[in-house]
Amino acid sequence: MLSLLEQNRPLRWLGKQLFNREDPAAFFDPLLTSIDPMLVRQYVPAKVTGILDETADTKTFVLKPSARWAGYEAGQHVNICIEIDGVRLNRTFSLSSSPKQWQQNGTVTLTIKRLPGGQVTNWMHDHLQPGDTLALGEAFGDFLAPEVPEPLLFIAGGSGITPVLSLLDTLADDDYSAPVTLLYFVRTQADVIAAEKLHTLRQHWPAFTLTVVATDAGKTPEYLNDGHLDTVPGISARRCYLCGPKGLMDLANELLYHRAINADRIHSTFFSAPMAALPSDDLGGEVAFERSGVTVSAEGDAVLLEIAEAAKLSPKYGCRMGVCHQCSCKKTSGTVINRLTGKASGPGEENIQLCVSVPQGPVNIDL
Amino acid sequence: MKKLNEAQLQELEQDLNAIRDEVLADLGERDAKYIRRVVRLHRALEIGGRVMMPFGFIPPVFVAATASLGLAKIIENMEIGHNVMHGQYDWMNDPSLHSQTYEWDTVCSSESWRRTHNYEHHTYTNVIGKDRDYGYAVLRLGDDVKWHPGHLLQFINYILLTVLFQWGVGLHELETERLRRREITWKSKLPFLKDFFRKGGRQAFKDYVFFPLLTFPVAPIVLAGNIGANLIRNLWSSTVIFCGHFTQDAETFTEQECENESKGHWYLRQLTGSSNFTGNNFVHLLSGHLSYQIEHHVFPDLPAHRYREISPKVQAVCEKHGIHYNSASFGRQYWTVLQRIGRFSLPDKLRLKLEAQPA
Repeated sequence: MLSLLEQNRPLRWLGKQLFNREDPAAFFDPLLTSIDPMLVRQYVPAKVTGILDETADTKTFVLKPSARWAGYEAGQHVNICIEIDGVRLNRTFSLSSSPKQWQQNGTVTLTIKRLPGGQVTNWMHDHLQPGDTLALGEAFGDFLAPEVPEPLLFIAGGSGITPVLSLLDTLADDDYSAPVTLLYFVRTQADVIAAEKLHTLRQHWPAFTLTVVATDAGKTPEYLNDGHLDTVPGISARRCYLCGPKGLMDLANELLYHRAINADRIHSTFFSAPMAALPSDDLGGEVAFERSGVTVSAEGDAVLLEIAEAAKLSPKYGCRMGVCHQCSCKKTSGTVINRLTGKASGPGEENIQLCVSVPQGPVNIDL
Repeated sequence: MKKLNEAQLQELEQDLNAIRDEVLADLGERDAKYIRRVVRLHRALEIGGRVMMPFGFIPPVFVAATASLGLAKIIENMEIGHNVMHGQYDWMNDPSLHSQTYEWDTVCSSESWRRTHNYEHHTYTNVIGKDRDYGYAVLRLGDDVKWHPGHLLQFINYILLTVLFQWGVGLHELETERLRRREITWKSKLPFLKDFFRKGGRQAFKDYVFFPLLTFPVAPIVLAGNIGANLIRNLWSSTVIFCGHFTQDAETFTEQECENESKGHWYLRQLTGSSNFTGNNFVHLLSGHLSYQIEHHVFPDLPAHRYREISPKVQAVCEKHGIHYNSASFGRQYWTVLQRIGRFSLPDKLRLKLEAQPA
């Protein structure tokens, strides 16, 4: 019934008048959540139905999103929001399960490694229990399977395997017949995530070749090199998918570049999106937060979100890495550089993400 | 005002900052749980009141429904809306409790409130000519305003203001006194007026049109109950606010005193320009903890339920610096407010003569 208040336009208008909020159905949340946290309307809730150990520092969380979650394609990511000590924190993770699993039994999985010092990943490992709920955003991302079958090469490192698992599962289900190779880099054999699933895939899916490289197994570390790529037959015709730590991604990009593989046939996910090299001499400037009546001058490559926080403002924020758009805000004038792409904005009014926008000269923000 | 030299002001600033830092470092789940519990109580009271109201043809139900809705509005305005808009819960990163997007259940739009209250009133507290909350431009509360015969009737103004308080607050930013003096033009106020009619219209539509019509056969009862609930809220919130700054000992300041003031001086002004009243926890909740107006003015963006806990520390700081900590019972503080309104309605000569007599 409350979904009517969200979807039916006249009712939604009425709801706004009655409850003084843009999301009128969420007015009832405080009462609904005390009945059942899955009834909440402000966000899409998902219930933790199981937690599986993958390796010593990696767990797979099985989630059952509420029925109104829109679904996803293999290789996509989601934002999740959890509350730690009263503070809501947003993070982005790849879905590691296939969309088919979600269609069949309504569950999805996130496979998450503890990050040293990571507030959210460690909390999830230590405190999240089956039966708890968290907020699940809609899926996004373009790390997607090709539309027509063609030979593929996946290069994954560590927990960068997660979107690849979803893709492989989906391709195997479709009986994908073009050759598919996965070069999977881990520190030691004990760090292989989803080992069982990978070996099952290898047994039942003839097109699939799996090579696991344990970089720290020998006396000297074994990183990605031409020797590994030479083992991939017909590599120049392959569409390549990269996901892993920055060092691996840089190496892979360089080696593939030398093999004249076209850049538009190389896909990588945001985990490793390299920070663009920013012009260093003309960054910073006078930043005016118009609604707060605060003007500060910024120097260097500080982003607007940090500048605002340093000025004692508290804008809404989420991932702080340019993914979730929680901090989107109107820039009324001035130029900002996107820290991820290195591209400059136009000088006029437009929406920008505070967490990845570096001012270049004076900027006015509607905040 | 008590005079402190620069070194003393700096010490005062450090003492108060220490109290603030201690609370900031401790913010967490307890505060989140508190405000969510209050929000839950508000929802229960509002829904309960609205559902009971059509059965108001039974007199006890009418009383319960009106009281429930009135309490809901009081709690929403005082403990949730006012405090959320001060940014007291921004650190929770919950979009429903964010200062910049929260919209409250009263005529005044949040945008307008954040400008007139958060900025003007909290920056220029009790500075005559700068803090437009001081007397709301309709009451003479000190001899810095020249007396004229119209002031004899200011008690009527006070009654009207307290009964229609939400409309008064809603129109506050219109600055009618400056319009009258032609310091500003009506044209410059058009964007504000548009906003006022949108929000005021929305509130009137909800309480005086939509809910009565929804329950058509008993529309007059629902209308009467909704008017009653708004009235209860208006009387209570205006009284709480008046007890915060217009009591006998609450001091006022001149613009000259505050030019280029230090943070320490600002703190001193907040301490001496505000007044507390005592009461039980229910009274504190209903006042949005503005019963701790002094603590609120010193630390407007700390979660209000913390004021009670830090009050002894603030009092100790006041004692150390020889600053009067203005606190008394609710009845006593309100009585001094009424006296002040009455006294300053009289011509200065008569007032001084009366004041000279022992009470």
